[in-house]
Amino acid sequence: MPMLLALPFPWALPRLAPGARPAPRPMTDPASSDAALMALAGNGDRAAFNLLVGRHGERALRVALRILGDAAEAEEVAQEAFLRAWQAAASFDPARARFTTWLHRIVVNLAIDRTRRRAGAPSTGLEAAAELADAAPGPEADAAAAEARAALAVALGALPPRQRAAIALAYEEELSGAEAAAALEVSERALEGLLRRARQFLRSRLEGS
Amino acid sequence: MNTAHFAELLDRRGPALARWPEADRAAAAGLLAASAEARARLEAALALDTRLRRDLAQPDPAAVARLQAGIARQIARAPLPDRPGPLPRLLALLRPAAPAGWGALAAMACCALWLGLAPPRAAPEDPFGPLQTLPLAGDAF
Repeated sequence: MPMLLALPFPWALPRLAPGARPAPRPMTDPASSDAALMALAGNGDRAAFNLLVGRHGERALRVALRILGDAAEAEEVAQEAFLRAWQAAASFDPARARFTTWLHRIVVNLAIDRTRRRAGAPSTGLEAAAELADAAPGPEADAAAAEARAALAVALGALPPRQRAAIALAYEEELSGAEAAAALEVSERALEGLLRRARQFLRSRLEGS
Repeated sequence: MNTAHFAELLDRRGPALARWPEADRAAAAGLLAASAEARARLEAALALDTRLRRDLAQPDPAAVARLQAGIARQIARAPLPDRPGPLPRLLALLRPAAPAGWGALAAMACCALWLGLAPPRAAPEDPFGPLQTLPLAGDAF
């Protein structure tokens, strides 16, 4: 009998006073885990997804920027990655990958694809380097620092895209080697191989600069 | 560990020796104490590492804010997330059986096929049928 009483018979439902407004939907808890927010987003909760964007947007943009070397393209890629994540939110399975690993994989794939598509175009790494060098006129120390950043940007621009992506992920704080490898869809050993070739190349290019 | 192997590990894992596996770390410490060349290699690796940490591009805070606002705007207009089809949902249901191996999944699939495709019997079998053929005491033959 107590079970019957708990059933939602119409007379058992709470009644609202005439003119009273229904209670507002509870706010999404900003302290929720990424997996919990993705589960809400999968059910169409836009506020939950926006919390994820606030939490991980900067990192996604940074990884895209370091692979592409161009701020405007990096913004486009990061935005596209989040839109794809929104569309696929309902099929995200936290048992298979962490949200950050999944998001980084989308960002890296989009950024590498874009780098390959523009392979025939003039090197944007060089352009970005020139912009950086021009952006900091003034005291001698600033000029030297800008020159160092420009030299690094040129050297990074000359790396193959996957090696550049390996560097971008390896120097991302809070990302373990296993997560970086998963974002690149390679084994940890293969990631180490990419990093080895990238570091050797960068060292040879940056010697004396 | 020799200097060439040490240099390779520096390029593979980076110069933060504290993150290396214990055995390699101990071997590297021994080599560093004995070899000036190994120390020079470590210094060069540290210099590159420091430079990468300092000079790798950082996004502009205005770009981050623009990104967040742009996504919020697009998400507000975008359709709701696509629901997964029946196959991904079925695979998600079967995933708890995956630790038992592919054999268990194959056996489950065979059972389901057998139950689904086996033809129904025309008439239920009488469990006492064989007993009725036995002669009973007092029967007139």
